[in-house]
Amino acid sequence: MKRRSFLKLLGAGLGSLAFLPGSAGAGLVRSPVVTNRLRPPGAVAEEIFPAKCIRCGRCVEVCPYRSIVMLDIRAGLNAGTPIVEAEKIPCYLCMKCVDVCPTGSLRRIRQQDTRMGLAVVNHFHCLAWIGTILCRTCYDKCPFAEKAIRLDQLRPVIDESACTGCGLCTHACPVTFPGGMKAVNIEPLYAGKKVTG
Amino acid sequence: MSNYTGVKEQEGRGEPATSGGRKLYTPWRLGILFGAFLLILINPFVNYFLHINFIQGWYQSFSAGSLWFVSPLEGLESLLLTKSVYMPSLIGMAIPVLIALFLGRVFCSWLCPVSFILEIFDRIRKFFGRRKFLKNHLLVAKKVLWFILIAELLSSLVLGMPLFVFLSPPGLIGREIMMLVFFRTVALEGAILLLVVALELFTRRFYCRSFCPLGGLLALLGRKRRLLVQIDQARCTACGICSKVCPMGLVPSEGEGASAYCWNCGECLDSCHHQALHFGWRDN
Repeated sequence: MKRRSFLKLLGAGLGSLAFLPGSAGAGLVRSPVVTNRLRPPGAVAEEIFPAKCIRCGRCVEVCPYRSIVMLDIRAGLNAGTPIVEAEKIPCYLCMKCVDVCPTGSLRRIRQQDTRMGLAVVNHFHCLAWIGTILCRTCYDKCPFAEKAIRLDQLRPVIDESACTGCGLCTHACPVTFPGGMKAVNIEPLYAGKKVTG
Repeated sequence: MSNYTGVKEQEGRGEPATSGGRKLYTPWRLGILFGAFLLILINPFVNYFLHINFIQGWYQSFSAGSLWFVSPLEGLESLLLTKSVYMPSLIGMAIPVLIALFLGRVFCSWLCPVSFILEIFDRIRKFFGRRKFLKNHLLVAKKVLWFILIAELLSSLVLGMPLFVFLSPPGLIGREIMMLVFFRTVALEGAILLLVVALELFTRRFYCRSFCPLGGLLALLGRKRRLLVQIDQARCTACGICSKVCPMGLVPSEGEGASAYCWNCGECLDSCHHQALHFGWRDN
């Protein structure tokens, strides 16, 4: 191959990236943090997380529960960043990952101050709320029972001042929909906040 | 040639005139490359099956106990993109940066797992191929290295997300090995590694020479490095073998060992029949 033709090919390839359909271009930088897909404890806001994280995978290696998985190229430029899949393996808040992060993407934080997200009970699917059975699995599994999840007339209620978003309730919830949604899901409410200071 | 007699004398003094010169550095370099590769190959297994986390990570961030290293390119992008300074990552970058400042781009030639794979590839090619030296079919100006580094940093800043994720193969290799051990799967971006190896069929170290952003940054840091490949003009017979073996396509006999593109691998030193090349410290 001639050098000129190679460089032309290279230029054409890179230039055509600009003509990608908008959705593909957006997919390159779209955040993978959605319902039940959470950053590990102590993560900085999603606004700067993919920029701060150097994809070294040390949090994935250190996690004793294998809760943290690593994204690949399907997540666009978020490839290599860590994610917790709450309904598969939740976070047990052992706080080992925050100690090894070399870039401060995961900040040192106390267990009870962790805010990976907020558990939200779906009142139309929760067995206790629709009155099918007296299910209190989430209440039993919650590491901060009586604080993060209370029972109100035998129905689970979340207290956002104590819920860490660890996902233990989501993992334990017996109601499962195709696609992995449960009757109690973790919404990454805090990931969207803006960075200040 | 006036220095021809000098060579004769030297051979007469009993030093064996072997075909490839004295192999001083190549065995050490291959050993270190192998060790460095073995480290990141075995490490995920130790982490996964034995839960021993004393040694962690690969060449994006590597830790042995409390000693942390952060790869300069990745660390720099992390600081640039977040526009804030985080001391642990700065301190983690200190040792790699100092090594690059004093010794140049030695990470690339003595430690990088991609380099190891390409060395193995070289040997396989030599074993099956008829030619001893690969003719470089595809040459790109060496300056492209700097433009790639600038383009990579700028486009990362525009996107707000680092592009080293896909463009820095040393990190990719560690990630692939870890993915394989931890999740029994390979990430699709491994195709980039295959591309880097495939380009090796056209030109030696094609990607390392002009496209690796990490190599570009280390070369930039090592521009005024102390350790250089120096030439003893009196001994040089201008046979040109050093420029044939140079994986970076340099001409050491014309003093290009002092250029920013040299990565101090020492292959030219080992190839020289007349010991005209040697490592030396730059005098200030």
